[in-house]
Amino acid sequence: MDITLRVNGTTRSGSPEARKTLADFLRDDLNLTGTHLGCEHGVCGACTVILDGRAVRSCLMLAVQAAGSEVTTIEGLATDAGLGPLQQAMWDSHSFQCGFCTPGFVMQATAFLSAHPDADEQEIREALSGNICRCTGYQSIIDGVLLAARRNTEHASER
Amino acid sequence: MKLPQVDYEAPRTVEEAVDLLAEHGDDASVLAGGQSLIPLLALRLAQPAVLIDINGVDELSGVSVADGWVRIGAMTREYVAEESGTIAGSVPLLAAALPLIGHEAIRSRGTIGGSLAHADPAAELPAVARALDAEFVVRGRSGERVVPAAEWFEGYLMTSRAPDELLSEVRFPAAGPGTGTSFQEVARRHGDFAIVGLAASLTLSDGVIADARLAFAGISDVPVRAAGAEDVLAGERPSAGLFDEAARRATDGIDPPADLHGSSEYRKKIAAALVRRGLRAAADNADERQ
Amino acid sequence: MAEILAERYTGASIRRSEDPRILTGAGRYVDDIKLPGMLHAAFVRSPLAHARVLSVDASAARALPGVVAVFTGAELEAMTVPGPDALMALLSWTGPTPEFSLLATDKVRFAGDPVAVVVAESRYLAEDGCELVEVEYDELPPVTNASFALDPGSPPLFENLGDNIARPHSRNEFGDVAATFDSADRVTDVHIDVHRHQNVPMEGRGCVATYDADLGLMTVHAATQSVHVTKIAIAMRLGMEQDKVRVLAGDIGGSFGLKIGASREELAVAAASRAVGRPVKWVEDRSENLTASGQAREESFDVRAAVSDDGDLLGLDVKMVVDTGSYPAMGAMVPETVEAMFPGPYKLAAFGFESTAVTTNKACYVAYRGPWASETFVRERVLDLIARDLGLDPLEIRLRNAAPRTNPPAFMITGRPLVGVTTRESLQRLAQIVDFPSFRRRQADARARGRYLGVGVATFIEAAPGPRSPEGASGPLGTESMRLRLEEDGIVALFTGQMPHGQSHQTTLAQIAADEFGVPFEQVRVVVGDSDIVPFGLTGGSRSATMTGGVALHGARQLKAKVLEVASHLMEASAQDLLISDGQVLVRGDPASAIGLGEIARRAAVGDVGAGVDANLEVQASFDGGEGGWSGGTHCAIVDVDVETGLVRVERYVAVEDCGALINPAVVEGQIRGGIAQGIGAVLLERSAYDQDGNCQSATFMDYLLPTACDVPRIEIEHLETVPLDADVNFRGVGEGGMIVAPPTLVNAIEDALSPFGVRIYEQHLPPARVLELIAAAGPAQ
Repeated sequence: MDITLRVNGTTRSGSPEARKTLADFLRDDLNLTGTHLGCEHGVCGACTVILDGRAVRSCLMLAVQAAGSEVTTIEGLATDAGLGPLQQAMWDSHSFQCGFCTPGFVMQATAFLSAHPDADEQEIREALSGNICRCTGYQSIIDGVLLAARRNTEHASER
Repeated sequence: MKLPQVDYEAPRTVEEAVDLLAEHGDDASVLAGGQSLIPLLALRLAQPAVLIDINGVDELSGVSVADGWVRIGAMTREYVAEESGTIAGSVPLLAAALPLIGHEAIRSRGTIGGSLAHADPAAELPAVARALDAEFVVRGRSGERVVPAAEWFEGYLMTSRAPDELLSEVRFPAAGPGTGTSFQEVARRHGDFAIVGLAASLTLSDGVIADARLAFAGISDVPVRAAGAEDVLAGERPSAGLFDEAARRATDGIDPPADLHGSSEYRKKIAAALVRRGLRAAADNADERQ
Repeated sequence: MAEILAERYTGASIRRSEDPRILTGAGRYVDDIKLPGMLHAAFVRSPLAHARVLSVDASAARALPGVVAVFTGAELEAMTVPGPDALMALLSWTGPTPEFSLLATDKVRFAGDPVAVVVAESRYLAEDGCELVEVEYDELPPVTNASFALDPGSPPLFENLGDNIARPHSRNEFGDVAATFDSADRVTDVHIDVHRHQNVPMEGRGCVATYDADLGLMTVHAATQSVHVTKIAIAMRLGMEQDKVRVLAGDIGGSFGLKIGASREELAVAAASRAVGRPVKWVEDRSENLTASGQAREESFDVRAAVSDDGDLLGLDVKMVVDTGSYPAMGAMVPETVEAMFPGPYKLAAFGFESTAVTTNKACYVAYRGPWASETFVRERVLDLIARDLGLDPLEIRLRNAAPRTNPPAFMITGRPLVGVTTRESLQRLAQIVDFPSFRRRQADARARGRYLGVGVATFIEAAPGPRSPEGASGPLGTESMRLRLEEDGIVALFTGQMPHGQSHQTTLAQIAADEFGVPFEQVRVVVGDSDIVPFGLTGGSRSATMTGGVALHGARQLKAKVLEVASHLMEASAQDLLISDGQVLVRGDPASAIGLGEIARRAAVGDVGAGVDANLEVQASFDGGEGGWSGGTHCAIVDVDVETGLVRVERYVAVEDCGALINPAVVEGQIRGGIAQGIGAVLLERSAYDQDGNCQSATFMDYLLPTACDVPRIEIEHLETVPLDADVNFRGVGEGGMIVAPPTLVNAIEDALSPFGVRIYEQHLPPARVLELIAAAGPAQ
């Protein structure tokens, strides 16, 4: 099936089989391998992307269902300056180790923070409880998100 | 785990969807939010010949109120329902249950109708629907019919929807004054399916329980109304002793399933605990809503 | 000790050089690799735990459009060389050696045992092809528990062994066991079980194999903890010379011991790619990872403890049975380490240890982060049980029995010296951080209101790398090698056999080398992941901080000396008057004399230095671990047990630890927290479950549950000031400690919470249903 969608601000098209997941389409057809497959049954969150403004599990969508949508993957978060503010805060916080869960966390946290910029630690933990990390024990990831939120608040109040 | 070969249809109207269902019957699966169906396909536990994707049927979305009923289009996303002021105000039990469904990303795509048509007895929405005597509107070739919740859930992942019918809308009665609700569950982790869950609603009038609704998730192959407990509660004033008695009545004679997460005996024990906790919380909420 | 003029990186939480690519989705994991003409593999797997394979018919699969080839077990045998598991051969295993084919030929031995491999244009089509392969099985009675496996009447998994004994019973005694037990005031006798659970890295196993027929070269892109061990495994099985096999590894999504050598599937994929003449990729999916990659820890212990009425632990007598599943890899070797480590940091007068390992129709036993961890679990559980019997405080009984730090050091009764072990200090420090008396008051108050809080402690040591041994190198796998080179662009390149998969070596080793050499951190490049280029090495065993940190330190020093020697000729100054600072060589006190290191290297390369001077700015360094040393500490958990639902919440977790000098505190703490999270998972959530027919019941993440951000609390970490043992290298490992000691810490806390009910816990897995069972079995609250 021919589909056209916008990915990271650019119009992309392809002809995936109906059964091909959005995750596989992004990785294989569009060569955006930043989105990872950790379980392919919707539990681990490694495949999280932002679709039409909402975080979704790309392994639980068919590519054909994303036709006409606006998708952002981890590759779409970088700014001209390099890392986006959340990524910078996570770098500063030593958030990750092996990095495999990272794209899913970054996308989920991005979606969450934009809707809940003043979330506290417990709210952030609950919001990220659908993303599994095996390396860190989560504290460093939470710290990265809290740091990003704090910097965003300070930045906003400076204006 | 990759999905098996499957044909794909994307109707734009309910009529088109119904025609496709009539054509394919049991060989077809309806694809709504996909959060339950796609894992089944990925694990190759389900291998329908054709997927009928109803995400493009715009007329199936929307929340409205009419005649004391809140009408929710089957394709209304769970996150939309979660953000709905109408639902928060008029169906507080549903509003209480929605945040417990999986995680945010699941609710981005999952739908009210999809969850209720999938009918997993451990899921939150079937218990809510059963507790509130929700109504299920199905449309088929021969027209529209309305199925009460008591007749909707037939077995494990089985509803009374005929193969050529589409669930188009679910209706919940608007909560009256003095109604307090609570959804409690015991789950292994935040966001997991309930091992046992309880949807509870109490309507108080002058401090007396005028109406009591209790429905369990996870103790059978369908959501179960705790009718015996409801009888014991009606007409009484809330008290710890009353709630203990209700817990006993609710769990007497139930024979929950056993699995990796708990034995039948375990489910029975926590079901009783949930009744005590759920009724206490519902009674507290009822006071707030007077 | 050489003067380090600009020590500004070591000891600081320098931001990782790995992160810019990790955070932007630019990491390159095995599944991200695409080669021209690449095909995809999927495996046909047995649905039965134990059966004869009567026939395999792949004709329908081969006829499916998009399927390029199907290889059965028999066909793969014909194109490979039979032999033992490479890792066991490397570790010189001399016990029973089961004979089995690469993929199942005549027999399947666990549910998930691969029988055939389908190679197709896409993974989707390969899985379609798998469904068309028809296998006829003749079911055999499954052996699904150790007690049946021990029965000589159980059907043997491996015909050549004749029984299901993977490691025959053996017993060792240290000290006079009989006398110690005969004269003890009391003898405690318990049976303790540790349940089956597993590594579950977020990235499963996988590889892309490609064979160049013209050159006879096999290149494998792997996810591995050692490119060289994988290379050896592939060369052995494919009957190739080792120098004809090249293993490359990029980013790896965790491993925790799983990805060592090459699994049967990876070997089959390599053979398949050679046969089809095109690159073949296989990446396991989550179900394969949970059911077929391997599992760990299923061990049971009968323990007798000889104790004095005052709480002296005089002796232990332990009988261990390991369930190594099918296709034993290293499970049979675990008892050796368990025996050696069992006494821990305690004084014992006598110790008896016997063990047997059995094969069963379950996934094979693989190394999982601290494979010997059960020794700490059992020992620390027994100490608490004894303390409870005697009415002693858990800290008190440990302080009483911990060996004091003496010079010369006390010895473990099993032989190793407890040099530099700060167990007593960690216990004392914990008592300062956690106000136990205040907790006990809060606990009593909570109990009166029907809430059950508990506190638990546990102590451990781990050989990271371990004390200097008289025979030579401190750590396992002998000395550590590193090649260091000053490149012509001024980069100091470190070539190491380490294969980081979350350990942050590209950052930590650069910190050490940058400090030692005198260059900015950004001017050091750590090269890993190419068996053609890096020396032999393996990341594992919590050894890299010492072994690799040490070889980086000494190697940088050696390279610096060479560079200064060359520079002294170029700059016509004495080497003693030269220093390296911020990437330049200069004469001390004369900044105008500075020359960039790149220029030094370029001029040396073109022969500016003249004959008689060694202008090859490269060193091959090696390090035997120096004085080595132990890591260890004491952990403490406070839990809140809901006795109506059995759910346990970890309210507080404190880790007091000593891992020597820290290279990068954030990296160290991340490792500790990650290990503790796995311990929380093991106790509260994770179990690799089988039914009595050998069907795996935890084949998805719906049933194999991992801890989430709501399950792991903030973990407080206190670093003890360590005892330096070596003049230069006092970094010690932390990779495994958290996972080793967290389970007993938590179980001790849960038993403390439930002590009003008289609950005693003799197992490690405590899901909510089990907690309620324990309470019901024990009786009403006191």
